[in-house]
Amino acid sequence: MSSFTRSDLTDLFRAFAQRMAAERTLLGELDGEIGDADHGVAMADGFEAAARALANVEDENQTLGDGFTLAGQVLLNAVGATTGPLYASALTRAATTFGPVQEVPFDHLPALIPAIFEGVERRGHGKPGDKTMLDAWWPAAHVVTHESDSSSGTVECLRAAAQAAAKGAEDTRAMMASRGRAARLGPRSIGHLDPGAVSAAALLDVLASWAADHERLT
Amino acid sequence: MPARGTPRSAAPTGDKRAPTRFGEDMLLWAAWLYYEEGLTQAEIATRIGVSRPSVNAYLADARTRGIVSIEIDPDRFRALTLSQAMQTHFGLNDCMVIPSEGNDNPLTDRLGAAAAQVLRHLTKSGETVAVTWGRTMLAMASHMSHGALRDVRIVQATGSTTAKIPWTPEACATRLAENLGARCIPLSAPAIVSTAEVRDMLLHEPVLAEQMEVLAQADRIVLGISSLRPESTIHTSGLFDEVSIRDHYHAAVGSIAGRMISANGARVDGPLEGRTIGMDLDMIRKVPERMAVAGGMDKVQAILAALRGGYVSTLVTDADTARAILTSEGYEDRPPRRPDAPSEALPERTRVKKFLNRPRDAVDEAIAGALLAHESILAPVDGAPRAIRARHGPRSGKVGLVIGGGSGHEPGFLGYVGQGMADAVAVGNIFASPPPDPILAATKAADGGTGVLHIFGNFSGDLMNFEMAAEMAEAQGIAVRTVVTTDDIASAPLDTRSARRGVAGNVFVFKVAGAACNRMLPLDKCAAIAARAADRCLTMGVALEPGASLDTGRPSFRLGPDDMEIGVGVHGEPGVARTQVKSADETADLIVDRILDEINPANGTEVALLVNSLGSTPQMELYILNRRLRRRLEAHGITVHLTLLGHYYTSLDMAGVSITVMQLDLELKELLNDPCDSPAWSRA
Repeated sequence: MSSFTRSDLTDLFRAFAQRMAAERTLLGELDGEIGDADHGVAMADGFEAAARALANVEDENQTLGDGFTLAGQVLLNAVGATTGPLYASALTRAATTFGPVQEVPFDHLPALIPAIFEGVERRGHGKPGDKTMLDAWWPAAHVVTHESDSSSGTVECLRAAAQAAAKGAEDTRAMMASRGRAARLGPRSIGHLDPGAVSAAALLDVLASWAADHERLT
Repeated sequence: MPARGTPRSAAPTGDKRAPTRFGEDMLLWAAWLYYEEGLTQAEIATRIGVSRPSVNAYLADARTRGIVSIEIDPDRFRALTLSQAMQTHFGLNDCMVIPSEGNDNPLTDRLGAAAAQVLRHLTKSGETVAVTWGRTMLAMASHMSHGALRDVRIVQATGSTTAKIPWTPEACATRLAENLGARCIPLSAPAIVSTAEVRDMLLHEPVLAEQMEVLAQADRIVLGISSLRPESTIHTSGLFDEVSIRDHYHAAVGSIAGRMISANGARVDGPLEGRTIGMDLDMIRKVPERMAVAGGMDKVQAILAALRGGYVSTLVTDADTARAILTSEGYEDRPPRRPDAPSEALPERTRVKKFLNRPRDAVDEAIAGALLAHESILAPVDGAPRAIRARHGPRSGKVGLVIGGGSGHEPGFLGYVGQGMADAVAVGNIFASPPPDPILAATKAADGGTGVLHIFGNFSGDLMNFEMAAEMAEAQGIAVRTVVTTDDIASAPLDTRSARRGVAGNVFVFKVAGAACNRMLPLDKCAAIAARAADRCLTMGVALEPGASLDTGRPSFRLGPDDMEIGVGVHGEPGVARTQVKSADETADLIVDRILDEINPANGTEVALLVNSLGSTPQMELYILNRRLRRRLEAHGITVHLTLLGHYYTSLDMAGVSITVMQLDLELKELLNDPCDSPAWSRA
């Protein structure tokens, strides 16, 4: 069985950063409809800074826990906004989940998803159905914790999670925002996708394809 | 001329000449008598001495010649178009849309009353009608009245519950049957039983089997739709008490007849599925006439799911809900076109020209320029490029004042740093809260050993980042108090003031708090004064053009050529409502009316007034608005102690204005009068 290492973490964040850069304009436009149009900038800049920091301090002694903590801190201070504290909290939770080890078996990777869900939920005090990024992270986390069994592979599990997140993001269209800036729009937020859920679904899509590539290469 | 409908006045007789005001024009006179005075065509014929068919011809002529135009009340018209759009889009037999605003009764009650009407109208003698439970169902049952129907049977669609709620399945069925004069057939079993075996056994009991048989013959079902939101009655129904909806029904967005459905209306199975007694989703779909009664913004997703799943053939809802459902499906609800609306739209602003280098450098370059422009007042904070301190401000023994928020509000935030104002500021990206690090750096720079006061507007990002920074400062031994401003009256109702945004009222709060700190008052006293100032600020904004994103150069939302947005915040986000562009005086009135509604007479009659451009509205227009504002405030017995007018708190280049009124007491007035020296506000 292959493993997930500290340098894999850097590689994964590079893939996150690339995708967020590609989605920057779309996310900004989605956010402009119901918020302040800054979500694309925040996600792109935040993940770029995190990926760069991970690459810069990659040394032999860093653990996965250190890596996730670093990524969270750097992301937080690169962007602020709501995205910063929420993903910082998520990555701090992931640091605890992965712990002070230099690598974990590859099939532990899906545990990242419920860790992120719990971290975001804890900092933002939101619930699924509030029309936030939780509406993508929650169904994905549910796939990992309730629906995957050991017989199905890691990549299949991540793919199923990504699909659940994509559907969850699409479902935010009919929701009325009750958290964050869009909540001030009340009923007028209905009919629009939540940009935070869309970016979360994109991250999960990246995670699944990154894992597939990784598995093919090792 | 409006359509007829005015009460008919007693017709004087014998006057056969057209009165002079109609200039001998019989046509106009006939139209007047018919539409304005409400006479019948026969009465008009007698009155003006022509035949009835001539009157009829006059009236038709008056229509075609444009003397009379018939206008349908736009609200009713929209309800009608919404109902038709719902029918077409979801293939419904019928959709009744009631106005969302009505008397003071709760929406469930008003929907219930409407549903009772529809049901009485549709139900025929001899029919079997199944009914579910819930607030709306009970309201419907209560509004039902005895008709001429005979031999109608009302069947309970689900088993019973022991929950302590008035709208149990048995209560809804019994009440409906009673009021309709129908026979009630209960389901003599609990809705949820302990095991699947018990359920199967019970279903073989002759009494229950017979009742289920009646249920299977239902001609019609009336059902409520429940959301799974925290406020939903499903959580008090007792049905799901023993299982975690979150763990077992995570894919569910709503519930009908106690069965969970997904966003697409598919069945969501869980541990209770085999233990539930009553109609299941397949049975419901087979009932020929399925009338759902539900409304409310929290239910939009659940109603949409029920419509997609085919559980509804007739819907009773309200206009806002119908519109939201259709919007989710991509339908655009346009107001009926006014005849005088210009047919040619002006070209839309698609890309706004800006003085920029790389957009991503904009914030840092603006900070650099501000530090140079105001070098006698502002100084950088070492090691923290996004923190700025006052050159003369922080001093030993004085409470430090730290403010902050996103960029794009210039002179917002850094313009209010200086002596007698804030001691330091943390600057975020465009419209984004600064992260904790610069806030902490600003806090340390402002600390004079007696604690630091944080003041910022109420936005989730600022709350999280300032809270984290405050925790870090406390850990380093700096006492921090926080005041969050909530002056934007359009962003939430008064009873949820803590949910409101903090906007231009910040300017007054920063000044008052800065003066309090400058007088060397202790931290708690400074915080209390700032909180009182924040509480007394009322702001409302309107926009004529959206601002343009620095990143894309595009407007951040769309506003039609004749539209103006009411209740905008300061982040380029849309407001709370949209209306036709109004004149300066009408706009001032619209804002001042809302503000006066919330003025507390107990807080005195003297105010500070801020007439603020949101970016590209020029000072000239602000003066025009100010003239009307002053007249209205004066008429209300309010005097203006101090006026600020200009660019004080902007939203990039949005065209628009915000008006802030702060009610003053003696202390607040004195603090406003204190000297200060900051880039945006100096007072000797």
